[in-house]
Amino acid sequence: MTETRRPEHALVLVVEDDPILMLSLVDFVENAGCEAIEADSVAEAIRILETRPDIRTVFTDLDMRGSTAGMELALSIRDRWPPIELLMVSSQPWDASQIPERGIVLGKPFDRRRIVAAIQKFAA
Amino acid sequence: MNSHPIPNIVDDADRLSALMSYAILDTPTEWGFDDIVQLACHLCQVPVSLVSLVAGDRQWFKARVGFPHCETDLDSSICAHALAQPDAVLVIPDLTVDPRTRANPLVTGEPFIRFYAGAPLVTPDGHVLGSLCVIDKVVRPGGLTVAQAENLKALARQVVTQMELRRAVTSRDIARAEEQRAYQVREALRDSQARIAAAGGDLDAVLRAVVAGAISAVPAADGGVIALLDGDHLEYRAVLGSLAAHRGQRVPLAASGAGRCARTREPYLVRDAGSDPHVDRGLAGTLGLGSAALAPILGGDGVLGVLKLQSARTDAFTQGDLDIVGLFTSAATAGLTEASARAETCEKDDYWRGLFDRLSEGFVVGEVVRDERGRVIDWTYVEVNPAWGDLLGIDPKTVVGRSVREVIPDIEEEWIDEFAQVVETGEVANFTRRIETISRWYEGRAFRLDANRFGVIFLEVTQRVEAEDRRSALLTLGDRLRDLTTTADMTRAAAEIVGRTLGATRAGFGRIEGDVEAIEIEPDWTAPGIASIAGRHRFDDYGDLRGSLRRGEPLVIDDVATDPRTRDDPGPMRAIAVGALVNMPVRERGRTVAAFIVHDVKPRTWAGEELAFLRNVADRLEVGVARVRAEELQAVLNTELVHRLKNTLTVVQSIATQTLRSVTEREPVEAFERRVLALSRAHDVLMQKSWAAARMRSVMESVLGLQADLDRFALDGPDIDISPQAALSLTLLLHELATNALKYGALSAKAGSVRIAWRTEQGTAPTLVLDWTESGGPSVTAPNGRGGFGSKLIRMGLVGTRNADLEYGHSGLRAEFRAPLTDIQIPVH
Repeated sequence: MTETRRPEHALVLVVEDDPILMLSLVDFVENAGCEAIEADSVAEAIRILETRPDIRTVFTDLDMRGSTAGMELALSIRDRWPPIELLMVSSQPWDASQIPERGIVLGKPFDRRRIVAAIQKFAA
Repeated sequence: MNSHPIPNIVDDADRLSALMSYAILDTPTEWGFDDIVQLACHLCQVPVSLVSLVAGDRQWFKARVGFPHCETDLDSSICAHALAQPDAVLVIPDLTVDPRTRANPLVTGEPFIRFYAGAPLVTPDGHVLGSLCVIDKVVRPGGLTVAQAENLKALARQVVTQMELRRAVTSRDIARAEEQRAYQVREALRDSQARIAAAGGDLDAVLRAVVAGAISAVPAADGGVIALLDGDHLEYRAVLGSLAAHRGQRVPLAASGAGRCARTREPYLVRDAGSDPHVDRGLAGTLGLGSAALAPILGGDGVLGVLKLQSARTDAFTQGDLDIVGLFTSAATAGLTEASARAETCEKDDYWRGLFDRLSEGFVVGEVVRDERGRVIDWTYVEVNPAWGDLLGIDPKTVVGRSVREVIPDIEEEWIDEFAQVVETGEVANFTRRIETISRWYEGRAFRLDANRFGVIFLEVTQRVEAEDRRSALLTLGDRLRDLTTTADMTRAAAEIVGRTLGATRAGFGRIEGDVEAIEIEPDWTAPGIASIAGRHRFDDYGDLRGSLRRGEPLVIDDVATDPRTRDDPGPMRAIAVGALVNMPVRERGRTVAAFIVHDVKPRTWAGEELAFLRNVADRLEVGVARVRAEELQAVLNTELVHRLKNTLTVVQSIATQTLRSVTEREPVEAFERRVLALSRAHDVLMQKSWAAARMRSVMESVLGLQADLDRFALDGPDIDISPQAALSLTLLLHELATNALKYGALSAKAGSVRIAWRTEQGTAPTLVLDWTESGGPSVTAPNGRGGFGSKLIRMGLVGTRNADLEYGHSGLRAEFRAPLTDIQIPVH
């Protein structure tokens, strides 16, 4: 886990269990001018969130092992830390009703422009 | 010789006719006249007295005393001289000296009469018919005293009175006899007409009745015959009396009395067979013919035969008899005509009756029953044919005279209303209708017979109607199964169709568990008032039911109370309202996995056609369910596939990005990322149709939406299905065009937009033409040199045809791409 404190950058928790995809997600966060904190599982993501109240945005993949793990995480974040913004990527379509409030789901393969735009919007 | 001629008055025709009118000559003696001559003898003291009537050729004595002869010729007549003096008594005291009588044979010879006195018999009309005379054998010079003469005249008047009386009585008797005769004739005629009527068309009986009637009307006849015309002969057909033995006798038209009568068509009287010019003597001998009365029997256009009455005596028949025979020929004609009409009617009657009896169609004659206001409320059976009984399953002998409501309780009102309508309007009604209580369908036609009666001819069409119902049920089922998308909807639809078609009370579908141990019944269809049995049921709870289903055979029970599998305890079946049932198994890999169930609350015999129908339904349902399952599975697989495809593309995208991390020019890297993205969008669209095809507009919107808001694009063209290859090609082409437009063209300006229009051009090779027209953007120029990969993609055009016409203008790119429609559209098999 990398943790570099750069107060001028907004912190984005990136949750992804595939290391190759993690590289791309972190890339997008940095493109957006934010700082990425990586978590490779839902459990770790929760742990980090419990200790890092300065995280404003969570960027998670919904297609992780245990098919619904990503969405469960998103829902529990919205439940426990309502102010945190949620950006999600998924290869599956999701009904609007399934998505937590204010959350954004973008598809795969990645649309760099939209992902970056969304991170910047949440960080602003 | 006559010395003194008799007076001319004797021959007076009026006088003679008057005499004849009394019809007294040659009649027996009568007391009335005898008494008068006795009195005259006493009065005049003579031995002889006579009532002498003077005819044209003789004098005849109606009464006489002392005279041996009953008549004399006129030469011997003294009375003839009395005729000449109607007012006075002729007195000749000595006949031997009077010039009128001295030569009279009765004077000159026996009995030597000498004295004569005669009072004329004068009728009220003044005719002198003869005299009442007194005669003596001695001369009487003194003649009669005045008193004697007056008294003799008085007695003479008595004679006339007596004659008048006698004539009156006679004529009364004749009138009576004639009346009697006419009565007899009428009676005989009536009798024979009655017998003709009773003969009921039996020709021989008719003819015999005529002959018998004629014989009884003409007593002079001792035999009679009706001979019918047969070619040039007459053949004796009806023979009675003396001719009874001669039936079949043939007499030639040309040489017989009957033949003459037939030829001339006139009545003919044979007075004496021995001398008649038309009668064959030999035949007359054979037949014992003395005389005959013959009359022709006329009918229609000609003569049918001859009625003959005969007698062994000659001259037995009068003209009156001939007239009577004529009367009977009319009866014979009428009888013959009626007999043939009756025979024809009877034949027709038999013909039609036979036809109706043999008809396979049912036939009914009904009569409506009305209430006091004249409204038809019922109808009764007047006549039914045997087929009616077969088609209704009711003994036809038991229904005539009963009403339809009695015979078929709960009969539908239409069976009364419609026939009432037929009787009221006279309009024929065609029907195809069911009688619920006997569960049979009938098709037929009803027509009016009269103001209260109607006829119905019909066939039972239960099998046809039910077969049609089953056929249309299968069609409906096919449609419903095709449209429905869940197995629950499908089994429910099938249950309802089956339940209604078979008139069952419950139908449903269930999955069988284990080795036919239990069945999980899905929501079922039930008739009103019947509870659903959806849910799990153990077969063994209802009887010994598992055997046939395990073998894959249908479980068919007509009556749970008698079927060996359930009769020991039909209670559980009854508890769920089952009197009869079918479970039609559905098999999969040699196992019974499901069953289509049909219940009827009442026992019923399941027909083979019904079981075949159920088999068919179960099969179709199973096919339908399998299709839905397959589609559901396919959808899951498709989703999974696209999910994996996208994940793979994402990983490829990430690897490429990371690999090219050191490349300082980021633009190509991003272009790559986006091309992968565009390709993935095309798969999204294709997945909606399982990669078999894609909607053109969806493909466009999907890829263009990646680049800019869709309202910057105006799409105009038919939304056709295109092949997966065309979809991928179109996606990459539009992606590059939009990328360029965004970078350099119309979309780089705020107000710029792109119009994408496509059309198909028919011709020898139908072509898809796609126009890309930018507007509102800056002026553009063609890229330098060969350009990059993007330019290549654009020049490759649609599906690699390289048919791309590019025009870089001052407000943006205008491009036209053409491709054979066959390469764009999915092949149609």
